Amino acid sequence: MIGRIMRGYGTLIGIVLLIGFFWANLPGTFMTAQNLLNISQQISMLAVVAATMTVVMVMGDFDLSVGSMASLSGVVAAVLFVQGWPIWAGVAAALAVGLAGGLVNGFLVSVVGILPFVATLATLTMQSGLAFVISGGKTIFGRDIPAEFAGFARGGVALWQSAEKPVLLPSLTITALAVAALVWLVLEQTTYGRRLYAIGGNIEAARLAGVRVTWLRLTAFGFTGAGAAAAGLMYAARVASANPVQGSGLMLSGIAAVFLGMTMSESGQPRVLATLAGVLVLGVMDNGLTQMQVDSYVREVLVGGIILLAVSISALGRRAIGR
Amino acid sequence: MALVGIVKRFGPALALNRVDLVLRSGEVHALMGENGAGKSTLIKVLAGVLRPDAGTVQMNGGALMASGGDPAALGLRFLHQELQVVPGVSVAENIYLGHRFPSRFGLVQWRRLRAGAAAALARLGLDHIDPSGPMAGLGPGDQMLVRIAATLVRGGGADPWLYVMDEPTAALSDAEAGRLFAVIAELKAAGAGVLYVSHRIEEVLRLADRITVLRDGAVVARHDRGAADQPRLIHDMTGRSLAVHPVQAPVAAAGAAVLTLRGLAAGTLHSLDLTLCRGEIVGIAGLAGSGRNAALKALIGAIPRRGQVLLGNRPLAQTPAAAWAQGVAYVPRERRSQGVMLWRPLSETVALPHLRRLQRGGILQKRAERAMVARLSGDVRLKSRGTAQMVGQLSGGNQQKVLFARALAGQPKLLLLDEPTRGVDVGARFDLHDLIRDLARQGVAVLVASSDLPELIALCDRIAILHRGVMTGLLPTSGLTEAGLLAACYREPQP
Repeated sequence: MIGRIMRGYGTLIGIVLLIGFFWANLPGTFMTAQNLLNISQQISMLAVVAATMTVVMVMGDFDLSVGSMASLSGVVAAVLFVQGWPIWAGVAAALAVGLAGGLVNGFLVSVVGILPFVATLATLTMQSGLAFVISGGKTIFGRDIPAEFAGFARGGVALWQSAEKPVLLPSLTITALAVAALVWLVLEQTTYGRRLYAIGGNIEAARLAGVRVTWLRLTAFGFTGAGAAAAGLMYAARVASANPVQGSGLMLSGIAAVFLGMTMSESGQPRVLATLAGVLVLGVMDNGLTQMQVDSYVREVLVGGIILLAVSISALGRRAIGR
Repeated sequence: MALVGIVKRFGPALALNRVDLVLRSGEVHALMGENGAGKSTLIKVLAGVLRPDAGTVQMNGGALMASGGDPAALGLRFLHQELQVVPGVSVAENIYLGHRFPSRFGLVQWRRLRAGAAAALARLGLDHIDPSGPMAGLGPGDQMLVRIAATLVRGGGADPWLYVMDEPTAALSDAEAGRLFAVIAELKAAGAGVLYVSHRIEEVLRLADRITVLRDGAVVARHDRGAADQPRLIHDMTGRSLAVHPVQAPVAAAGAAVLTLRGLAAGTLHSLDLTLCRGEIVGIAGLAGSGRNAALKALIGAIPRRGQVLLGNRPLAQTPAAAWAQGVAYVPRERRSQGVMLWRPLSETVALPHLRRLQRGGILQKRAERAMVARLSGDVRLKSRGTAQMVGQLSGGNQQKVLFARALAGQPKLLLLDEPTRGVDVGARFDLHDLIRDLARQGVAVLVASSDLPELIALCDRIAILHRGVMTGLLPTSGLTEAGLLAACYREPQP
């Protein structure tokens, strides 16, 4: 019984406990509208990466190259801005690079038949090198980045007016919600998504039932690549600069968020809403611990420990009911 | 070594009834019998896996295993159909698997390892196998020979004197089987004995010095070399004398042809010519490795095929996706690994091949899906707690019904059933047989491959017999007995 509860709701209970903990320890600063909106903006890039990572993890695959793709796309956009391309063209080109990179991963995994770990590790290395080559190893910032591009990340939709300045729902948060909604639509409401879940459920059975496994795996990686590129652009806009390593933290956190989310589903399969809950856990911990002035290295130890704890509880709970 | 008066019961069923078997070094002893005659039970007793309810296993006159000793220490080596090999490493390492690698100071001495492996291979005359090459590069036959060579490496129990081979040639080509026979001759010349379990009469007649036939758990016949022939052995196994059925040419039946096969070849199947008409149920019978299952896999497009295949008068597509779309439905042999998604709702398994009809602009119409699955669940008399229940929570029979519901959903023209009632309880089997007949009455053409002969006789209008990938007969079911069908399965193709 306890196993069943912990399996379904363990992560949700964890989120509530975490929020309660920070609320109690950071009175007056944590549980404010402004801080919660800040958190939503801080986690928006991770949310986009994790949501699109969910698309491939549904099939039992994963993509290690999302972090380097995020860096690469930011650098590509910035270099094009330097050469005088309009914002829309630079953004479109960066997204196209992401889509192409994802499709290359998909080709390697599904057509060539390389393990996702090996294939995406190799493309991670290549993309990371490419980002250095294109940027010349330098951070592109200042006047080279158009003001409207960086302005997007500072803007938002006014929710209400408080003491002189309006409280904004950040554009980055809205973007992340839009991406998550799109992934939800694809995975949960389309026949395409249903087939991806079938591949994850039993790849041989799916093939024999007429699912075009090769084609679907190939295209699903495209989502992940494009999502990584979008996250890279969001990051570049937020810090108004682009350098060849700035996205590298997204990969491990993205995979961790999906795993945290998987602890919430009955059969241990990834679902995008559960992934968002996983993102929330990571974001809330990061924000709260930072405000409590916990050293960033100690923070990493704590975050890793929490992930292990959640996944262990879920695994033990599943064993307790014989699955 | 002697097994004396072995009795083994499973509940009320008597699996072995006072079986005596004497095994000597330096001779090949064949053990024959139908499925369920008690061959595997006897081997398990010999291996010490099962404890006999009565009787003893003796060696050199002394009673030996009351509860089962270590068979390797007694010099016994077992070679099963499923090979225990590690495909990713070299032949030499596979040969030393289960032995201590030659080493010095904790480091493996690769040169000695290779030399030892090469010596073991050479003793069997297997010079064509490179000990440094990867195991995965060898065919199933050579892999089996490597396993035999592995038993010659010293240090794993007593020196082997008796090899137990369970259907060793089921997965082998003729050439590979030929090499195995040469190795068996080598082993025999070196003084070792072989207990050879096989369905294949011609092999047994060629190899065996002695033949013991089991039927219903009891020894019904013993023959020395030269004392038995094919009709005699068939009679021993089935307990009946058999009129030989004439081989019939494929007839064009009355209804419109739904499926036409000309020279279908795929995997172990070499050639199959067959015509299926509307509303007809045709069975495929044959021993393991006869191409029975390959035929169905080839038709759904799961493995590459050659030859002409027409559905109606159009060529049948080569991929599962296109074949389902053309009106072919398939129930695979391995329910759990090839059929269902165990930990997804059962509706997803049912709807999977039919999603194209359940969508509007790419969006899945979940209400239509639920309605369809609910209707089909009723049609196949599925017992479940609704369409959202996980397949893994259902019994084997109900899991099979899920696959039947899926096959029905698209109103197929052609239904391919591979072992349709394997591992299914009696009630579900009855339901499924009913369903298959119903479908045929509605005009569906059904092709059933099964190792369950009573099932084929009960269901089919005609039964195609495959022998080593070639069709050797096409029998009408009326008047056909199980024994007659079995005899047909064993018969060599006429030259």
